[in-house]
Amino acid sequence: MITAENLGKRVPMADGELAILKGINLEIKSGESVAIIGASGSGKSTLLGLLAGLDTASDGRVRIDGTDLQGLSEDGRAALRGRDVGFVFQSFQLLPALTALENVMLPLELKGDARASERAAGYLERVGLADRRDHYPRQLSGGEQQRVAIARAFAGSPRILFADEPTGNLDRATGERITDLLFGLNREEGTTLVLVTHDLQLAKRCQRQLQMDSGELHEIEPS
Amino acid sequence: MTLLLRMLVRDWRGGELGVLLGALVLAVTMVSGISGFAAALKSALRQESHSFLAADLVVRDARPLPASWLAEAAERGLESAQTLNFTSMLYAGDEGMVLASVKAVSEAYPLRGALRLSDAPYGELREHRGAPAQGSVWLEPRLFALLDIAIGDTVGIGEAEFRVAAAIRGEPDRAGGFLGVGPRVMLNAGDIPATQVVQPGSRVSYRQLYAGDPEAAEEFRLWLEAVVEPGQRLQSVETSQPAVGRALARAERFLLLAGSLAVILASVAVGLAARRYAERHQNYVALLKSLGADSSRVKSLYAATLAISWLLSLLLGWVLAWGLQLLALQSFAEQLTVMPSLLQPRPYFIGAVTALVCVSVFAWPSLGRLTAISPLRVLRSDMPLHDTREPRDYLLGLLAMVLLMWWYSADLKLTLVVLGGLLTVTVLGGLVALFLLRGGRVLGMQAGSVWRLALASLQRHGLGNALQLVVFSVAIMLLLLLALLRTSLLEGWQQQLPEGAPNHFLLNLAPDELGAVSTLLDDQRVRREKLYPMLRGRLMAVDGEALPIEAQDDDAATQREVNFTWSAQIPDGNELLAGQWWVPGETAAVSVEVEFAERYGMSLGDQLQVRIGAAEFGVTVTSLRSLDWESFKPNFFMVFPPGLLDSYPVTYMTSFYLPPEQKPLLNDLLRAHPTATVLEVDAIMAQLRSTLSQVSSAIELVLGLVLLAGVLVLIAGVQATADSRLRESALLRALGAGQSHILGAVAIEFLTLGLMAGLLAISAAETAFWALQRFVFELPYTPTPGLWLPTLMAAALLIGGLGLWNCRRVVSVAPAEVLRDA
Repeated sequence: MITAENLGKRVPMADGELAILKGINLEIKSGESVAIIGASGSGKSTLLGLLAGLDTASDGRVRIDGTDLQGLSEDGRAALRGRDVGFVFQSFQLLPALTALENVMLPLELKGDARASERAAGYLERVGLADRRDHYPRQLSGGEQQRVAIARAFAGSPRILFADEPTGNLDRATGERITDLLFGLNREEGTTLVLVTHDLQLAKRCQRQLQMDSGELHEIEPS
Repeated sequence: MTLLLRMLVRDWRGGELGVLLGALVLAVTMVSGISGFAAALKSALRQESHSFLAADLVVRDARPLPASWLAEAAERGLESAQTLNFTSMLYAGDEGMVLASVKAVSEAYPLRGALRLSDAPYGELREHRGAPAQGSVWLEPRLFALLDIAIGDTVGIGEAEFRVAAAIRGEPDRAGGFLGVGPRVMLNAGDIPATQVVQPGSRVSYRQLYAGDPEAAEEFRLWLEAVVEPGQRLQSVETSQPAVGRALARAERFLLLAGSLAVILASVAVGLAARRYAERHQNYVALLKSLGADSSRVKSLYAATLAISWLLSLLLGWVLAWGLQLLALQSFAEQLTVMPSLLQPRPYFIGAVTALVCVSVFAWPSLGRLTAISPLRVLRSDMPLHDTREPRDYLLGLLAMVLLMWWYSADLKLTLVVLGGLLTVTVLGGLVALFLLRGGRVLGMQAGSVWRLALASLQRHGLGNALQLVVFSVAIMLLLLLALLRTSLLEGWQQQLPEGAPNHFLLNLAPDELGAVSTLLDDQRVRREKLYPMLRGRLMAVDGEALPIEAQDDDAATQREVNFTWSAQIPDGNELLAGQWWVPGETAAVSVEVEFAERYGMSLGDQLQVRIGAAEFGVTVTSLRSLDWESFKPNFFMVFPPGLLDSYPVTYMTSFYLPPEQKPLLNDLLRAHPTATVLEVDAIMAQLRSTLSQVSSAIELVLGLVLLAGVLVLIAGVQATADSRLRESALLRALGAGQSHILGAVAIEFLTLGLMAGLLAISAAETAFWALQRFVFELPYTPTPGLWLPTLMAAALLIGGLGLWNCRRVVSVAPAEVLRDA
């Protein structure tokens, strides 16, 4: 359901162009979980941005359910994201002026869901934070903040979830609990998961692992 | 809609909307409040001027005026009164007899202003409205001495006898034409028939006075204009503007200027607040977009935010403006016969439009462009901040500012002068910022680490600092300019009315009385001006062209009686503008006051034909002088060289200062010199002083408010870099920098900025001050070198202090908290 054909991304530099991604071909099926691993600066986050329609490619194309993202305007891609896509970020990206509940309500409100508050409260309960719903992000620990972010990601009922280093800012034990939560919810909701990480342990929990190296992508065969 | 409301509430909670809303409220308050107050001041000014006519409108004629006009006025809801002026003999006892200037007034007189009476010739003054009771008269103090009578005695006019009820010391409509007429007697118009002195053919001046609602009065004036016949003169306020009026007019201009500056400061504050708001919302918008919000949604969200902010600012700002006007007007309450309404719509409308322009021109460009934020920011928070301004926005902002100021002050000259000052500061500020900050870095590399840190920080925020520098300079310049103007206005008023300024005029002294009068005054240590000879003459022709005896148009040059004098030297307080003062022996020459010369179309070298008594002769204009009509010193239109007027009968005049406790001296003076006339202007001067002191406190109040606006702009300017400073400081502290190290660097950075801003501001303020004094206020310009050093120091300390105070958080917040948030 997600396909990338000959995908490339170049950025202008002082001494010419720099190719961040080179000729990437990829196919991810519905309900699959895929990890993209690689060192810092290998281009994995750039690829995630292109696959999620947050950025546009210099070459090639990305299709989600047959829709060519290159052919859509920014607003068209926004509509697609609102409908089909959810995100979990390394830096959580919670809005500091909003309570935990309000942060989770945000995607529901954008969809015009009349029962946004109720449903958001349900997701907070599922991530174990029912009693922290009125707390602000600064009153929550890093792990709790990421749980709020996961609740927000699933609250919009996305078909695809993109996670960018979801445990990157957390200690090992907290990171594992977050990982369990993420994969548990993913299973329950039947979501397609695309996960970017440099943590091999985390990557192994996905059905497929792809290695990003100097802008090129290789499938890692199961050993 | 719910999302929008939630967003507003959250923004408010986060403190981000507060600053923007605060700036908007400030704009509405200042603009509505100050323009409302200026309007009230204007109405006070009109009332003040009206009191010099004793009415809003006066018609006079040498024949009785139609009674139907009074009926017409009554029908239009106007009040009216009548007066008759004529000269008649006043008798007392068997021998006392004086030619007096009689004024008979109807019950309602005066319609504006008040009469000043006392119960003894120079006793304590009291204000009075209304005519003397029938059968009684009020006499000018010197008549008591001339006729040797007291209050309660009986005097006669024509066939009727009257009881003397009070001494009349002042009447509102007796400002001009006091020379050469007899002492005043005032009686009730109802007593005129009994006197039998007014007969067909008598020389009487009849007046009808009208007053009432300004609109009705204006309509009635137009009606009258259509029906008056030749010989009937219509007078309204515009024909004379007294000293108080001029002072109030200047105060009003000052207030409008202050208001215009407040508009600029508010615009800058709104612009800065919007910029900061937009910067803080970039991540928010990126997140909303990653969650599926499209650009039109983002746009409508922020448009609605601004619209609601605008409405809220109107509600709050209007209430505050109302309070501000109330506060300012309270200091005037005594002065105003009618308290002006605080709910005039125009000031509130101006405030609303100003805030709307601020929102759409200064706030929207920053917020509107948030729609262009890439959602990719959610993955890459290190993406450079979106530049929210384009040159087009700045141009549009400038244009809007100019139009607003112009509309607000209705004064293009004033607007252009302030704009010139602003542009100078902005351009110079930008250049200085670029050069100095770049040079500073080179210097800083050789300096200690605190300095290096400070200068590196100055340079790193290059563009932001240039903006900060310009904002600081503009705010300081505007405040300085306002403070300079205020000082100049107040000093001008004080100079005009210094303590001990002459407050009495002494007229009609015969040449043989001069010695005795001088001795009397000098013995009592009375400070007096020189004695000037004075004689009435008539200007007949200018440069061969005879002047008409009377003209239809009030402004047209006609033959007129003028007071002549002669003097070997140029009179005190006069300034020679053109030509030369005479050399000894020069005859047949005249020095003319410049405005009088303009009115009669005279220039240097013109031949004038003048008449004194039955003799007519020609003189050449050899010089033009300017003088201060508000100085309360003897002033003359035409001054001749000594010798030329020797053969004509002459009297002398002077002016002197008499404190209240020395008033009884006037009785002795007049008893010894019964033909002399004393004109008391101390009451008018006291009134002028009290008005000016009230205007001054009102100006101080407004200045204080504009200062507050200026400081808020400075705070907004300092805050502009607060976020990045917080992050940098956290990093530095994590690396081991001490608090004093970081605060030292911050202090140096802001002190440097303050010093530069001070330098720019004082240069531009000095220039604009010169231009405003010269072209707008028409006051002399004096450079203010003494202000430079204090300004530089104050600017450095103020900006440095504000910077430190605002950045105190950067060393108190735990570095981990900041770095984690980032």
